[in-house]
Amino acid sequence: MQHVSDLVSLFQPKTVAVAGASRNPAKIGNIIVKNLITSGFTGRIYPVNPREQEVEGLSCYPDAAGLPQPPDVAVIAVPAAQAVAVADDCARAGAKHLVVVTAGFRETGTDGLRREKELVAVCRQHGVRLLGPNCVGLMDTHTPVNASFAGSFPAKGKIAFISQSGAFVLAILDWSFSIGLGFSRFVSLGNKADLSETDMIVEAAGDEQTKVILCYIEDIAEGRRFMDAAREVSRKKPIIILKSGTSSEGARAASSHTGALAGSDIAYSTCFKQCGVIRADTMAELFDLALSFAEQTIPGGERVAIITNSGGPGIVATDRVAKNGLKMARFNTQTIDGLRRSMPPESNIYNPVDVLGDARADRYGKALDLLVSDGNVDALLLLMCPAAVTEPLETARAVIATARRHPDKPLAAAFMGGPQLASGTELLKKEGVPVFTFPEAAIRSLNGLVEYGRIMAVPVSGEPLAYAGVERDAVREIITRVRKEGRPVLLGSEAANVANAYGIAAVPTLLATTLEETVKKAGRIGYPLVLKVASPKILHKTDVGGVIAGITDEDELRKGYGAVMNQVLAHFPHNVIYGVEIQKMMPAGNELIIGATRDIQFGHLIAFGLGGIYTNLLRDVSFRLAYGLTRGDVEQMIRETKAYTLVRGYRGQEAGDLAALVDTIGRVAVLVTDFPEIADLDINPVFLYAQGLAALDVKITISTE
Amino acid sequence: MKNIYLVSSDGSSPKTAVALGLALKLRDGGLKVGFFKPVGPGPGDEEASLFKEVLKLDHSLDTICPCRVGPSYLSEFYAGDGERGRILQAYDEIKRNAEVVIINSPPFPYIAASVGLEAESLVSSFDALTILVTKVENDHSLDQAIYYNYHLRMRNVHVLGNIFDDVSPPLAVKIEETYRPFLEKAGYSLLGVIPARVGITSPTVAEYYEALGGELLAGQNNMGVAVEEMIIGAMTIESALNYLRRSIHKAVITGGDRADLALAALVTGTSVLILTGGLYPDPKVIAQAEERNIPVILVGYDTYTTLDKMNHVIHHIKSSDEQSLAVARLNIEKHCRWQDILTSLR
Repeated sequence: MQHVSDLVSLFQPKTVAVAGASRNPAKIGNIIVKNLITSGFTGRIYPVNPREQEVEGLSCYPDAAGLPQPPDVAVIAVPAAQAVAVADDCARAGAKHLVVVTAGFRETGTDGLRREKELVAVCRQHGVRLLGPNCVGLMDTHTPVNASFAGSFPAKGKIAFISQSGAFVLAILDWSFSIGLGFSRFVSLGNKADLSETDMIVEAAGDEQTKVILCYIEDIAEGRRFMDAAREVSRKKPIIILKSGTSSEGARAASSHTGALAGSDIAYSTCFKQCGVIRADTMAELFDLALSFAEQTIPGGERVAIITNSGGPGIVATDRVAKNGLKMARFNTQTIDGLRRSMPPESNIYNPVDVLGDARADRYGKALDLLVSDGNVDALLLLMCPAAVTEPLETARAVIATARRHPDKPLAAAFMGGPQLASGTELLKKEGVPVFTFPEAAIRSLNGLVEYGRIMAVPVSGEPLAYAGVERDAVREIITRVRKEGRPVLLGSEAANVANAYGIAAVPTLLATTLEETVKKAGRIGYPLVLKVASPKILHKTDVGGVIAGITDEDELRKGYGAVMNQVLAHFPHNVIYGVEIQKMMPAGNELIIGATRDIQFGHLIAFGLGGIYTNLLRDVSFRLAYGLTRGDVEQMIRETKAYTLVRGYRGQEAGDLAALVDTIGRVAVLVTDFPEIADLDINPVFLYAQGLAALDVKITISTE
Repeated sequence: MKNIYLVSSDGSSPKTAVALGLALKLRDGGLKVGFFKPVGPGPGDEEASLFKEVLKLDHSLDTICPCRVGPSYLSEFYAGDGERGRILQAYDEIKRNAEVVIINSPPFPYIAASVGLEAESLVSSFDALTILVTKVENDHSLDQAIYYNYHLRMRNVHVLGNIFDDVSPPLAVKIEETYRPFLEKAGYSLLGVIPARVGITSPTVAEYYEALGGELLAGQNNMGVAVEEMIIGAMTIESALNYLRRSIHKAVITGGDRADLALAALVTGTSVLILTGGLYPDPKVIAQAEERNIPVILVGYDTYTTLDKMNHVIHHIKSSDEQSLAVARLNIEKHCRWQDILTSLR
């Protein structure tokens, strides 16, 4: 992981210059100076503007060159046309970091892009790091410093919020006051011309005040660097990310917004999973999770106990527990005896525990004490509906007391009501116990903690995959030849040779350009065999009569050759046909698929699942990114699929060769990593046998974007 | 020295490049080369202009191509003997200033047969050796070549030999192993097998722009690149990459509101991005295209109309296109029995 300790002075500056500072309160340059002053920033503030003498009571400097000392941070709030020159001025004056809030760069088109490149060039030339342009700025509540044009300054807290959307920064900041949420820092990334989410995550990891890192992103700038950083940071602090553009339409909107081609959402999900990042699906979930992570401990397991004063919410919560992959705790005898003794006879003393509608705070308190002490309980959820005798404030006190006594077990509450329960809700918020209106959000937040616990429980990944004896030169030779011919798609025989060069058991496939050659080569392969048209442009050969299986002798082969050629040319009269490919007919096995497709952001995404005709029907596929893939990852991705049931031997069938399967997936990952020009690789089907496997149809597309 | 009369057996054969290659080779040999096209298509014959410029001919375009027969020529004039006389008169003029003339027939040999001016009816007037040029795609292409050889022989036209043109690499093997024996067994010779080359046959972005009109939003400096395929971008982004990666030198036609597809096209070997429906793309898309120097054309048409117009675009080699001229010359030098052709002419 790249060390970015040099960013410390971005968040803890001693001196901040504001280029474009203004006396006009309507101007951004004025707001920033005011924000710096009112945030309680104790360092020096240098307004810079040749047309001002003084701004907000501070002496104003005509240019950065005239500053008494080099600023740690220079905030640039001048019109876009002047931004590059002013940035250069600040950089020459020794500024360590630039925060460019000015808009009018990449987001506006060609001229803006050129301007942004010039800005980056200035920063590179002087070794200055750049936040933005087109950003709101940054805030650190513990320094404290507010180098932004936001309308307020957040309360101190443990959450770092990093956002690609400036609007989200402003909206969340305002909303945070309504729920009393505090932050360690706010960062608006803007166009990410230099500093990106990865830099900010790494920096937040080293920040003592930050306990949880929250991100809103539309794309990730450097996929692999992000993976390296997230893998390491997520072991120290939870990273929770809301990534928008999950649907096709959303991705289109994101592309339009960022001007970057969004990688596939599967790749993002896979990346987050592989790197220990928790993904939130909604804004509400992002902050629900943040609240839990900021205040709660990570549970030792996934067993949840629920206490409720009414049956319905208890059942709803139980459903969510199951749906989130958590487990309902089964209490030990001691707990059950205790509940039996202390609860009314009509109470349900099993999970979910129903303390009944007439429960006052003391009954809740007793139940809480018993459950939190139970070794079979890892986390607790308390549900409350407003009944006539309900004591929200006292119950909240009981909850807080329990939470204080047992900091090892996370405890969330859902106070399901409005004004009647408000006193209790407010107290819980104030005391840092996550409280929600409905149980679903509470369960999701507990699940986030459990999910993180699982991430932490997995040992740090093993050695990256490597295989001795792979023949790189052979593959290079094939790809070079194909490129020379101007073809993006390899012939089946070429693809099989590529696979074989990496120890993938592709069924030998021979290309023949004429009938006589076909007959001759069939003699080498032996009957029965499969005959396929060799034409890379045809995606679905079977659909156009381009494949004949089960050819048992020369006579059938000769007839088959003519039939294939005639049928394919009838469908595609202008298509280039290279001849035919003949392949040894293999005995049937479990049909699986192994694939790799190069994602724009993260590189190759490896897929495994049920193959053949089931691939599209059942969509039983699991994914991993090839980058940093380990044998353990491969084993896990196989276990995630229904195909794994087949591999283990379903309903008396013989088990498949799992070791061969793991080995083949690993080799595919290494192949595509060694040859990044492979854009797509598809082996479908793979026949898995009790001993070994056979890759029947290998398809490879190369490209160089 | 005899002249060369090129006859095409099908309308799609890029015969111009063959004619150009032969002309350049002859000129390289120190000969004064003329070009004549007795019967041409309707107005706007770029081929006559090309040869006039390349060979620096003084003749008017009407002398180089004296008779023009468009698809509705019979409604306009009755040619008959008078037209033949005009053709021969023009030929005499061309011949006077040249040691050898490359004579090119219309795209199909039967054109103007209604008025007795089909390819074979003229050849006897030109003291030329006939070379039959065929674009080979499949076995039927060979049938066609043999059929025309036979037909010309029946019409007492001596065919020096055949050139198979625009041949894809895999077909080259089949030509050697299968087609050549068939052709020779039928008594006809094969003078050359010219491989397919994108730059020679495929229209350029500029040619599509000329046909489509519209607004050029980016990539002004890269209009000379060839377009080999057209892909309609109407799919989801995840399946789009799969398709887009399988094609290079392509035109991608999509709506201006499909920023995702446009960006995918820009990173997958696209020659031109054509945005339909008059929808301006996001400025960020144009910025990306500018960065990669990929032309972006905005048209007001819908996708169907755009594609229809693009289907009618034909590539014309320009005299300024040094690369195409070099390839045309190389095709004759390397892929044809040039010395045999030269010896026969002498």
